[in-house]
Amino acid sequence: MTRTLDITDLTCPMTWVKTKLELERMAPGEALDVRCREGEALENVPRSAREAGHAVSVEGTTIRIVRA
Amino acid sequence: MSNSRRNFLRELAGSVRDVTAAAQPTAPRAPEPEPEPLEDTRLERYSRQLVLPEWSEAAQEALARASVLVLGAGALGSPVAMYLAGAGVGRLGIVDDDDVELSNLHRQLLHFTPDLGVPKAHSAAAKLGFLNPEVVVEPYQVRLDAANAAGLIEGADLVVDCSDSFETRYAVNAACCAARIPLVEGGVLGMSGLVMAIRPGEGACYRCAFPAPPPDAPSCATAGVLGPAAGVIGSLQALEALKLLTGVGEPLTGAFLQCDLATLAFLRVSVQRRSDCPDCGGAYA
Repeated sequence: MTRTLDITDLTCPMTWVKTKLELERMAPGEALDVRCREGEALENVPRSAREAGHAVSVEGTTIRIVRA
Repeated sequence: MSNSRRNFLRELAGSVRDVTAAAQPTAPRAPEPEPEPLEDTRLERYSRQLVLPEWSEAAQEALARASVLVLGAGALGSPVAMYLAGAGVGRLGIVDDDDVELSNLHRQLLHFTPDLGVPKAHSAAAKLGFLNPEVVVEPYQVRLDAANAAGLIEGADLVVDCSDSFETRYAVNAACCAARIPLVEGGVLGMSGLVMAIRPGEGACYRCAFPAPPPDAPSCATAGVLGPAAGVIGSLQALEALKLLTGVGEPLTGAFLQCDLATLAFLRVSVQRRSDCPDCGGAYA
């Protein structure tokens, strides 16, 4: 089952804080769809997720992260 | 919520209003902001540590559950208590029997000129309450000695020794070894300082490293100290405390760090447990 997280109302660093904590609560291999706004979050959240070792794909303003 | 905590929060709310009124005697009162959900406010307060790859919600929760005793609210105790309160340690006990003096203010960041004559434990508790109202701060206006050490440290998950006497250091080291409570030692004198993290039973304790106090050790009053020199050592103690409490990073156990603050030469000295150590030698054999 894919989890979802809406961070459209947040700004840095809370965008990644919320995403990171949600990932910490998930099991390896689980997927998380993060809905965000254009701009800072769409640039930074995928980068932070990749740096943390997770698999990341972006479609429009939805970031899919598969937990490492 | 316990009575003491409720009273503390009530006093804090009163003092915040007093300070606000004093600082802005003629300014119109700003409208109260809508309170955010507690969870999001907490996340934002700790967000810059939560984004660290090494940090986690579990680390944050470990801090929130932790009870830390800080011995001394002076030059070392100020940065220690401020960083631990800021980081979200659940309960901070502040032990100090001195009053704030004018000669303290160049290095003791928790105290300000209007605090002159106020007991340091209470002056510190008030500032820490402003810094992070989530933290329960308990001031103890006493001096730790061999007789009361065991009682004072009871229930603490960690003790940070920010005192300025060898007598206190040995008393708290013995008490922490007996109760198996982790301890962060620190000291600064002139332009040199020292930091050591101790997990009793797992490595050298303070007395293993320093079996006896140095002869004719000068005091802070006679040797002098620069504020930032003490700040560096206190900051390192706070860092070691966070490591021991959360398991993040590698604490400086089984070694001490000797800091020459005149040249910024830092030397990590490994130390072994002594089987004949009167504080920890026989306890865990």
